[in-house]
Amino acid sequence: MDAVTAVQLTKTYGKIQAVDHLNLCVPQGGVFGLLGAKGAGKTTVIRMLCGLTKPTSGECRVLGRSPAEDPAGVHAICGVMLGNAKLYAHLSGQQNLLFFAQAAGMGEKAAARRVSELMKDLELWEVRELPASNYSTGMLQKLSLARALINYPSVLLLDEPTNGLDYEAAHALNTLVSKFAAREDTTVVLCTSKMHYAQSICTEFGILDHGEWLASGDFQTLREMSGCRAHAEFRLCGGQDLEGFQLDGTSVSGLVEHNGWWRAELRDEEEMPGLLRRIVENGCDILEARLVQPTIEDVYKRILEQHPRKAGEQNVYTG
Amino acid sequence: MARATLIAVPIGLVIVVPALFLGAVCLVPLEQAPGIQEMLSILPPKLEGYTAQQGLFDLLTNTLFSLFFLMIPLMASAVSASCIFVGEKERSTIETLLLTPLKVRQIFRAKLACCLFLSFVTTAIAFGAFTIVVSVGDIMLGIPFFLNWSWLVIILFLAPGLMVFGAVFMVFEFNRINSRLESFQTIAYVALPFLLLYIAPFTGLFRVNASVLLVVSAIVWLCDLFLWIIDIRTFLPEKFLEQSLED
Repeated sequence: MDAVTAVQLTKTYGKIQAVDHLNLCVPQGGVFGLLGAKGAGKTTVIRMLCGLTKPTSGECRVLGRSPAEDPAGVHAICGVMLGNAKLYAHLSGQQNLLFFAQAAGMGEKAAARRVSELMKDLELWEVRELPASNYSTGMLQKLSLARALINYPSVLLLDEPTNGLDYEAAHALNTLVSKFAAREDTTVVLCTSKMHYAQSICTEFGILDHGEWLASGDFQTLREMSGCRAHAEFRLCGGQDLEGFQLDGTSVSGLVEHNGWWRAELRDEEEMPGLLRRIVENGCDILEARLVQPTIEDVYKRILEQHPRKAGEQNVYTG
Repeated sequence: MARATLIAVPIGLVIVVPALFLGAVCLVPLEQAPGIQEMLSILPPKLEGYTAQQGLFDLLTNTLFSLFFLMIPLMASAVSASCIFVGEKERSTIETLLLTPLKVRQIFRAKLACCLFLSFVTTAIAFGAFTIVVSVGDIMLGIPFFLNWSWLVIILFLAPGLMVFGAVFMVFEFNRINSRLESFQTIAYVALPFLLLYIAPFTGLFRVNASVLLVVSAIVWLCDLFLWIIDIRTFLPEKFLEQSLED
């Protein structure tokens, strides 16, 4: 059974089409990254998957259960971390988790055991008795993650979990999510506009833009689909330039210079040595050269550029 | 703020104000006050033979003090509902609560039960304090214990009805309001009809007695039932969460 499915899922708020006929299928296991700029519809998808918002049309299921018909049933098997879902500021971190553990149907002892286990794992044990209002943003995000993990969920839905976090806190959270995702029976659906973060953690990706599903698959599939290729980048010894240098058929684009670096997109990374050899034969000395593989950010931008609506439009990606 | 309201308002309405009135009734020489004899002559027949002090204190106990007392269940349930429902929405903790494996209806019932419990405790304590203050006045002025048919209707029917009304009305407004400040303003509008109930007799149109209070109680309970049915149907995440998302 697939972890998450959506068929023709649509949501409109008045005249705004937040999600437009989305078809989604996330298999069990691994981390699925739902990528998109702010306002792309990622949060709306998560809200529909966890039953907080009802779709205007279409349907979605989490491990076979419909969030629209049985939200409580979905919450029993699914942990959700939403930016808008806050914890009780006047309760301590530990009291918050104990409350939500018991609300999830856990007995007092089992809840206490699970809370101490999660707080130790998330390095919150030392501050367990502090009111949540005294927690830093990073600590609150960790506490929210602990709350989402409290009832051993099979599916974890995360909406921008690293929002407002510094590099270290984001890295720590990333490690925790990866650790959770490493369990074979669990699936993580991660919404983010931070591409580098998604690349480091996700096994599959889906790209959403203005509520429209543009592409999905693993990185290799998306890379091929978008036509993103590796780049050759090199610096020449002082004062030299490549004006008048003619590229043969090895590269797909012309040479572009930026901040002293020359860049050309290659058809195949095996063509890098040949290109460098010809530049040297042309009388230039290469100071430094590197082969740059495309990132998920490059792929994302390319897919957005190729979309008919995007033709002539400025890419609004903010990540 | 809510905690202070739940403590300060009852103390003011059922201890401080009645005690001040009692002091005034005892200390001011009413017999020489202009118009007091005319007022005594139009008092109900059962108050015949009362002195000006006795008559005035009895009148206050059965009109002004009962109005003050009725404000307590209404205010207590509305203020607690404002914190329990609107406060959670304002602080965005309701979303977290809705992500637990609890059914929305279970959350609704638990919250409503909590409002009613808080209101019941506040009202019960307030009534106990009020009984002490008024009984002291009754003993000082040598008049019978204040509890009569009207007060029994108030305690058994009208106060519980208002307790439920304050809470269900606040839930009814829940989808429309986003802050506790707005909800406190709404409470003031809710209290207005009850103020009129006690001000209207001064026009001479009718007198508030046990029968009138019984009819009013029945109307309040009908409103409660009506609002309860609406609340059950409208307390849905997609209503109160989407409204704030669209904002």
